[in-house]
Amino acid sequence: MIDLIGLVPAILRVSTPLILAGLGVHVSSRAGVLNIGVEGMMLAGALAGVVVSALTQDAWLGLVAALLCGAALAALLSGAIHLLRADLILSGIALNMAALAGTTLVLFAITGDKGISGSLASLTLPGIHIPFIDAIPVLGTLLSGHHVLTYAALIAVPLVALLVTRTPLGLAMRAVGENPEAAAATGIPVLRVQVTALLISGLFAGAAGAFLSMGYVSWFSQNMTAGRGFIALAADVMGFGYAWGTLAAALLLGATEAVTLSVQGFGVPSELLQAIPYLVPVLAMVIHAQRRKRHEDD
Amino acid sequence: MIRNALAEAALTAVVVLAVVALVLVPLAMTQADPAGVVSTFLFGPFSNLRYVGNIIELATPSMFCGLAVALILRAGMFNLGVEGAFFLGGLGTVAAALLLPLPPPLLAPASLLVGAVAGSSVCVVPGVLRARYGASELVSSLMLNFAALFIGLYVLNVLLRDPAAGAMVSFKIPAEARLVQLVEGTRIHLGTILALLACGLGALYLFRTAGGFESRIVGANPSFAGHLGLDVRGIGLKAQVIGGLIAAFGGGIEMLGLYQRFSWQALPGNGWTGVTVAILARDHPGLVVPAALFLGWLQIGGDLVARNYDIPNEAVGLMQALLLVAVTAAALTRNPRLLRAFGARPAGAAK
Repeated sequence: MIDLIGLVPAILRVSTPLILAGLGVHVSSRAGVLNIGVEGMMLAGALAGVVVSALTQDAWLGLVAALLCGAALAALLSGAIHLLRADLILSGIALNMAALAGTTLVLFAITGDKGISGSLASLTLPGIHIPFIDAIPVLGTLLSGHHVLTYAALIAVPLVALLVTRTPLGLAMRAVGENPEAAAATGIPVLRVQVTALLISGLFAGAAGAFLSMGYVSWFSQNMTAGRGFIALAADVMGFGYAWGTLAAALLLGATEAVTLSVQGFGVPSELLQAIPYLVPVLAMVIHAQRRKRHEDD
Repeated sequence: MIRNALAEAALTAVVVLAVVALVLVPLAMTQADPAGVVSTFLFGPFSNLRYVGNIIELATPSMFCGLAVALILRAGMFNLGVEGAFFLGGLGTVAAALLLPLPPPLLAPASLLVGAVAGSSVCVVPGVLRARYGASELVSSLMLNFAALFIGLYVLNVLLRDPAAGAMVSFKIPAEARLVQLVEGTRIHLGTILALLACGLGALYLFRTAGGFESRIVGANPSFAGHLGLDVRGIGLKAQVIGGLIAAFGGGIEMLGLYQRFSWQALPGNGWTGVTVAILARDHPGLVVPAALFLGWLQIGGDLVARNYDIPNEAVGLMQALLLVAVTAAALTRNPRLLRAFGARPAGAAK
């Protein structure tokens, strides 16, 4: 029998990058600038964290570098669509391509190796053990001992929900996302709102990347995001436009992945299980779209 | 009209060259012999027949994928399932070639047909979901790409895997299913002719048939098309079905033309290259051919540089990404002032 309580930390571990990146996608999509480049931003953030933490021997500076790297790429994406007036989706695809190629080039320039950063003495970010709770048998496993970015991701959910639903910026974002022309007509600075949303999105993607390369491992490998950015996109789609929904979706998708990892030895075809995180969002989209359609028909 | 189109083409060409230089020159400067890097990159691919053959081999799948993306984009659909369709098309074709008990002359065409139909599902399902429920074909196709990858790997593992091969690869593709080689000393195969033919037919379809005309109207202005009484959803879906079939067929051609066994463990990336090709070609099936050859040239140039200098061939990926942005950037390639500098006349100006 699978140890269910023991599965919780595993699920949280797998879900953390999905929650972080999913929140990033959520913020961008509410402002009408769906961040397809989240995969690339994660990848670049992961490398930035490894390189800077190895150079400075300070894991927190590595995290800062990852966040800034994500935001810098978001600024580039914003420059492409707002200044150069390129297509949003194509620019996002381009960003993913550029990040995959660019991280390999940088990794090769620094280490002389295209595959992995093994020769860099990079650091990991710590886990947090909460005193007292840590000692309680079941509760301790559930609440304590997770990674610092896991806690950060969970705390970020209500904060993002508040930002989007209860602040003037959030209101402006939703207005812009709904209809930019109408928002502009009411005096909302559309450009500034979208740039802000993209930058926030980039910060989250950078954090997600840092978790991948500085969470439980201390290395960067080529294309280490391996499509997680796209699962984060799915988490946003399944969240139906709510930060809490994104959290629930990320946990569900993370749970699928964690179960996949834990039953791999039991003769279950792991390839089919690996396909599930990509099929569930499509089903959710259909259900959502069907409901909306019925709503409109009434 | 023609003058303005020429000005636009010239401006785009200059933007493309600028992007290539923007990546190539700084990387070349890191080496002891920058001029050698640049000349290897630009002229190396033409230095012998084998390299020219490599360009054409690489351009062949790009033509299929670029054509598929162009036809889909022309109908106003943003379906990125081309990547998964190409992968699954290759797998389906190999599976059919291994499993179907058919006489040799029928084996290749039948396998390609099976692969095309199976692979096209990655584009068709998002298309149907869009047409029936209004669900975004963009997001669902991105998801299904990966679903297709893992389901494909499952099929490979369970049905096609050669236990004696030592790696996760299929049994050898039967020799009678493989496409004939055309040019001695290269690996150019029949698929290249088919790709050229497909692009030609695609251009005819888009610009000389009622169906193509309708799809261009829908793509240019869906609400206008709706007022005309056109079946906007059906036409959008048709474009995605056609695009999916072409991309998946391209995957099958790639397998039967170049591979001994099915050996892809990840999405091969040809679909994304197809997006760049289609954008460079401005969604014109005829221009897909030179655009695919151009990207093939860059890739071989990058490979040759990587072989002779300390510059990984990922530099080409960086170029592709920048090309994608720069060529779609309205502020660059549709900039009236820049266009005028290239000889375009402003609309409505006196003759």
